[in-house]
Amino acid sequence: MELLLQTLVSGFLKGGLYALIGIGMTLIMGVMGIINLAHGQLMMVSMYITYSLFALFGVDPYVSLAVSVPAIFILGVAIQKFFLNPLMKIDTILPENQVLMTVGIGMALTEIMRFIFTSDYKSIQTSYSKTTLLMGNISFSLPLLIDFFIAVILTGALFYFLKHTDTGRSIRATAQDRDAAILMGVNAERITSITFGLGAGLVAAAGTMLMPVFYLFPDIGGPFTRKAFVICILGGLGSSVGAIFGGITLGLVEAFGATYIGMEFADMIGLIIFFLVLLVLPGGLKRITGM
Amino acid sequence: MSKFRKSLIVLACFASITLALTPAHSASTVKVGIVLPITGKHAKFGEIEKLSFEMAADEINKNGGINGHLMELIIEDTTGKPDVGRSAAEKLITHDRVVILGGGYSSSVTAAIAGVAINNGFPFLVNTGSADIITQPTAHTPSGKRINRLLKELAGANDPAKIVKLKEKIVVLQKRADREVEMILPRYAIFRLNPPVSEFADGLKSFLSEVVKPETAVILHENSLFGTRGAAAFAKSAKQIGTKVLFTESYDSGAIDFKPLMAKVKSANPDLVYMVSYILDASLLMNQSMELQLNPKLFAGAAAGFTLPEFRKTAGVASEKVVSATLWHQSLPFPGSREYFDKFRAMYGRDTEYHGAEAYAAAFVIADALRRAKSHSPSDIKKALKQTDMMTVFGPVKFISYGRKIHQNKLDTYVVQWIDGKLEIIWPPKLAKKKYVFPINWIKERQ
Repeated sequence: MELLLQTLVSGFLKGGLYALIGIGMTLIMGVMGIINLAHGQLMMVSMYITYSLFALFGVDPYVSLAVSVPAIFILGVAIQKFFLNPLMKIDTILPENQVLMTVGIGMALTEIMRFIFTSDYKSIQTSYSKTTLLMGNISFSLPLLIDFFIAVILTGALFYFLKHTDTGRSIRATAQDRDAAILMGVNAERITSITFGLGAGLVAAAGTMLMPVFYLFPDIGGPFTRKAFVICILGGLGSSVGAIFGGITLGLVEAFGATYIGMEFADMIGLIIFFLVLLVLPGGLKRITGM
Repeated sequence: MSKFRKSLIVLACFASITLALTPAHSASTVKVGIVLPITGKHAKFGEIEKLSFEMAADEINKNGGINGHLMELIIEDTTGKPDVGRSAAEKLITHDRVVILGGGYSSSVTAAIAGVAINNGFPFLVNTGSADIITQPTAHTPSGKRINRLLKELAGANDPAKIVKLKEKIVVLQKRADREVEMILPRYAIFRLNPPVSEFADGLKSFLSEVVKPETAVILHENSLFGTRGAAAFAKSAKQIGTKVLFTESYDSGAIDFKPLMAKVKSANPDLVYMVSYILDASLLMNQSMELQLNPKLFAGAAAGFTLPEFRKTAGVASEKVVSATLWHQSLPFPGSREYFDKFRAMYGRDTEYHGAEAYAAAFVIADALRRAKSHSPSDIKKALKQTDMMTVFGPVKFISYGRKIHQNKLDTYVVQWIDGKLEIIWPPKLAKKKYVFPINWIKERQ
């Protein structure tokens, strides 16, 4: 019983972070219609910002959210504006040009960070990094618990933004039908830039919040890009609600797989679910929730 | 016909010119190819080895080089992936025209590079890759590879009829493998400086049986060649010292969350937790054990991740009093080992450990063999390496054959413990600089 509960807790907490990573990607996917394969790398850059602030000025990782998220937001907007939008205008046989571009951007970011910080493993040791709250015999890692709550708040704020603000509505309109949105007077180019920035900002938050418990090196982006992709497919591409479910499902599946089947198979189980969803429930959880 | 002849003559001229030019061109330097993971998740190990190789090459060149020629290191990045390692080795052999290969980090990559070296009949001095099969020529034959697969199947088989059948198959294959080895041997020039992973825990074994006396153990290992072989070898050692292995679990070395795994270990409540890990996973395993208050009598690591200075940096107090097998420590009584450690620290402003010492020693072994070799053809270098008998910072080096292994250096292994933030050698007692801490009060240590 204790083992079961501990597994549930670990999976759920990790799932919260996964959801945040997934929402960022799915948002970009919805509006742009492409997969951002530099997603994990943007997260990695945000982690380096957090690390630098901590190492140079002793800024607490949670405080540095105020710097890393806007910084990556701006980086995201710039990437969209100067690297991806120009590609949209060019007619080629390959509409996937932009996807290829994101791969390139991901590689460039990795190598730039390696150039600045070398391949060393960096980590932040805060006073609360290893603090755990015990409830009976079940341990809750304090940083992951805080992360979970911040993730919930950020997600809530995002939904409010998408539903009740002008820009938010324009984003949804562009995602639903780009051409129609343009005809209605939406500046689609500006909206895509903002969306890319938002998606990047969300994953930046996830990266920063992961810093107190995880480690950092330039190649860390790739695995997270992969995870984000799986989460998006689970939730249904382009669905924000789906991404939350997708993230939590992946977290839980990995945890239960690790406990009851074998840690070695944790990744495999996630990918099998990915496969099954594509086969049995194409469109993912979006089909059920409709959002 | 005359046209054909003419072109032949022209070709011959070109050939002789290039042939004549090649040695003249490389006369001033002797090229040595080093394959290491400079980027990727094993970059930390690659870096410490690269710096040590460069430091050694510098010293060698200052002291006359290779009979008056400079030793030039050409370092290729494997990124920690076997396929990249394979093409890096091929590039070094065919394009850069190096005379010998060195380096080789992580078992999977080293095994892949060894395959390339054997195909080309090329000498390769391994200094870190530690899976046993690397210096077992039979393992590089087609039948040998099948035997390895069957052995794995045998380990998991329960049905007695199946076990008998598998064993029969292996006997037949073994004979075939022995014949195939005859074909490989002339081209086989793989040498290994470091002990194989099956011997990593030899030093630890006596420490466990004489001091810790664990009744139960859990083995956790990363799921590539290194971890799998290390875990299997330790399971055997555990049997010999009468420790019951409750379960063995493997994981992917890039994993983020070990909590479910550690929770499972906690509910099994073993005396000993033995881990075969690289660096990131080693720190996370210890951090998360601490978070879950998993307190066995002893945490023991199988070298690799557990001895790097980064382990202390990233795991913090969670690394305190963790014991690890190791292949080297700066306080061992080998000539120059303390000097190497101090010089490394002075030059690069950080600590080195056994991986660096392996690389440093390997450079000197390569230089020594190249000096003695009649020519720098693969077969002459192989002959010279075979006759190697020298002392290095890493210990005595002499390549012998035992068991199924050929060209393997036999060395002792030691036990270290993280005591007050420093890696101290604690076993065997005659070499220990500090007394081991056992039993361990985890609550006190982790404050």
